Amino acid sequence: MGGFRETILNNRARLIIFAVLFILFFTAIRGMDTEDWTITLLRGLSVGAITFLVAAGLSLIFGLMDVLNLAHGELFMLGAYVGWTVYVRPDTFMDVLTFSTIIGAGLVLLPLWRYLYSNWRPSQSMANIWPWIVLAATLVLLFFAIREYPLSIWDPEDFTQSPGAFSLAVSQGMLVLPEPPNYESIPPAVGLGALFLGGLLLGVALVGIEQRKLAALIETHFSWRAIVMSAGLLILGLIFFWFNDPITEYLLNMNTAARFFLAMAVAALSGLGLGALVEKSMIRPLYDRPIYQIMLTLGLGFIIIEVVQAIWGRPGFGLPKADIFSGTGEGCPATNFSELLENQCSTIVLFDGRVRTYNEIFIILIGVVVLVGIWLLLQKTRIGMTIRAGVQDSEMVEALGINVRRVFTFVFALGVGLAALGGILAAPSIGLSPEMGTRLLLLALIALAVGGLTSFPGAAAGAVLVGLLQQFIIKYGQIGINLPFLDEPFKPTPPLVPASTVLLMVILLLVLPHGLFGRRE
Amino acid sequence: MQSAIPNLENRQNRVLDLLKANSGLIAVFLILLAFPFIVALLNGQSFSAVLNNETGNAKFLQGLMIEVFILGVYAISYDLILGVTGLLSFGQAMFFAVGAYVTGIAFKKLGLGIWATIGLVVVAGVIQALLFAVVLPRVKGITFALVTLGFASVFFIVVKTNELKDYTGADVGLQGVIAPAFLDTNKERFVLYIISLCFALVVYLVYRRFVDSPTGRVCIAIRDNEDRALMLGYNTFTFKLVVLIIASITAALAGGLHAIHQPIVSPNIASLAFTVAALLIILIGGIGTLTGAYVGAIVFRLLQFYLDKWFGEGANFLLGLVYVLLVLFIPYGIVGTWRVHSFRVKQGRQYLARLLSGGAYQPVDAEVEE
Repeated sequence: MGGFRETILNNRARLIIFAVLFILFFTAIRGMDTEDWTITLLRGLSVGAITFLVAAGLSLIFGLMDVLNLAHGELFMLGAYVGWTVYVRPDTFMDVLTFSTIIGAGLVLLPLWRYLYSNWRPSQSMANIWPWIVLAATLVLLFFAIREYPLSIWDPEDFTQSPGAFSLAVSQGMLVLPEPPNYESIPPAVGLGALFLGGLLLGVALVGIEQRKLAALIETHFSWRAIVMSAGLLILGLIFFWFNDPITEYLLNMNTAARFFLAMAVAALSGLGLGALVEKSMIRPLYDRPIYQIMLTLGLGFIIIEVVQAIWGRPGFGLPKADIFSGTGEGCPATNFSELLENQCSTIVLFDGRVRTYNEIFIILIGVVVLVGIWLLLQKTRIGMTIRAGVQDSEMVEALGINVRRVFTFVFALGVGLAALGGILAAPSIGLSPEMGTRLLLLALIALAVGGLTSFPGAAAGAVLVGLLQQFIIKYGQIGINLPFLDEPFKPTPPLVPASTVLLMVILLLVLPHGLFGRRE
Repeated sequence: MQSAIPNLENRQNRVLDLLKANSGLIAVFLILLAFPFIVALLNGQSFSAVLNNETGNAKFLQGLMIEVFILGVYAISYDLILGVTGLLSFGQAMFFAVGAYVTGIAFKKLGLGIWATIGLVVVAGVIQALLFAVVLPRVKGITFALVTLGFASVFFIVVKTNELKDYTGADVGLQGVIAPAFLDTNKERFVLYIISLCFALVVYLVYRRFVDSPTGRVCIAIRDNEDRALMLGYNTFTFKLVVLIIASITAALAGGLHAIHQPIVSPNIASLAFTVAALLIILIGGIGTLTGAYVGAIVFRLLQFYLDKWFGEGANFLLGLVYVLLVLFIPYGIVGTWRVHSFRVKQGRQYLARLLSGGAYQPVDAEVEE
């Protein structure tokens, strides 16, 4: 039994912390009515679930690559805005999808250029200059090609055409999309050709930049797969272009729940793509200089905020909930779950309290699904094994002949994808605004520090803890705490809510410098 | 026979050497001293216009330069923590804001004199450094950054609460700080300019002396390898504490000057964005170079000013872009890159000299810091 005793002694600070947290939790519950504390508990879990989606990615990325991605909050926000576009403006989504598919069709020919380039060796000074010239020319070409593309979009300056107005129209079921525009000044073939050419040249420039130093990657095989893929994407893009209106029509008349799930999928996928892109282009050159990565992600965050403000406008707006979460008619609020599914109620009565279906049940559900999914990925798959090994010692894993860089890209993409999913998931309950990410990032960082920086279960536990604490303080701000020696109930003011989570972090880190589940280094 | 005379000569030589070694610094100081007069001359005003603080381009640019000096001092204090000692802290804005708020409250609410206020600011600086030092031995690396971020955000929240509205002015900030008459930013702009310039110079000299001292060398050793410094028998905690106290006092004094110059203390200077500004400044100038903080402050303030003027709302986007490009392509900043290049130029000149004299090529010793 010596081992057991030792475990207890080694972890006594941790055990005391757990005991104190449980006692605090039960005292907090005892001060409330049953209906109050169930709702507060569920709200806390819901905030915890959203925080977890952000913190999970941060934790994986930090654990594996020692990169604290401070742009994570902004990527979360971007996910919300992308999801909003799919849900509220399917026509814009289809237009963007069309031209990105055609650009992508040109871009996937990249291996071909590598093959050709390995047969052509220009002088060093030439090799240093021409890719940048091609890149600049390509960007100009793409700029004009995209500007000429008939994009049907909102206008943040014009109130009736602003994103907020479209959100309102969707929530009232009276969405009228503007007339889809067509190519005006140039024939469609030229416009689409320019997009394809832009993608093609972008690939050429990227290969040039990649190969300018030394002959690092010599492609000896002529890649047929790239050509087939490019042709496939091109055909897909043309289909999207010619059948743009029917597809938009179909999306618009789709069940709102299905459209919301589509929005979630698109947000997560675009997060994945963006994450891979950011890792490959910006984070990768900086692995030798850790502090610079933090600074880079900070700058990236500012850029994303400004881009979002330029496209979607400064003021925040809401995202209407799907119909199955917003029924208020007959039989509502539901009293049990079968009734809930039948009447599609917005609220359900649990323990005498009215619980909102979307905010307090669906979000938690998705959070649990993601938690289990990532846990399975980490424990049961080969890549999960590599990630776990990499968290412990990534140099050793590299020495064993595993391509760690590829795993880095995968994990970064996965983390950003999760954050983007969190963004669209949170949007219907907290609304969209350019600042939503910054606030959540602070919460996620606190959750991470509380749970232990590199620990995945720690991220989950920390997120739940932070969410619960925050919601209980908010609730007590409404009903007041009866403290001894005070005549009136003490009411925590709203600024105390973020302050309380920060204090929790500071106190906890003083007792346990590595967090609840962190490992001693 | 040769008793006192060589000694005197020696002393004269030493003064001369000192002047020679700092010729660049002295030149910059003199140029900055003459700067308002030069601007006045270019605008067709007379020198007395500067001394009488007449409105015009000269006065406006003096105001801008005072801001640059304040930002430079603020950034150099961050450079001491991050660039020299290698502590990643996100609480620098709090150091600055505490100084600004203490000065504002001392002048406006307590009606204290200038020396009492400076004393109060220094005390506040020491106290907050000690607050950071409480967590210092427990948490390291990123966790320390997160804890300091936590402290700073609590402070940001506290100054914005309505309960303290009488003292801090909540969201609006502390309006109308009444500084002593000889420091009035509108009527005595030139005096304030000279004071800020001298303040920046003194801080730079003190910092340079500190980094060159044995204590400062140990701080650099801590940055490069803390475990090795520990092994060599240095109590690294003490050194970090000293650095924190120096940086905190400097930043607080800069904050006080900011409160006098503005004369509004807005809660924005306590936000994370202001810490990021310090980071950006030393990144532009060159991390760990000290002079980089001032060079960075000039570039940053002018960039911010003109981007705002030309692009309005899009300015932040361009600032972010500049930031990302700097990190990716000019990681050592202006001063750092210049040092690397001047080293190469020196190398090339020596190579040429040797080649002409027929000797073998010997590279000069590396004297470039990171």
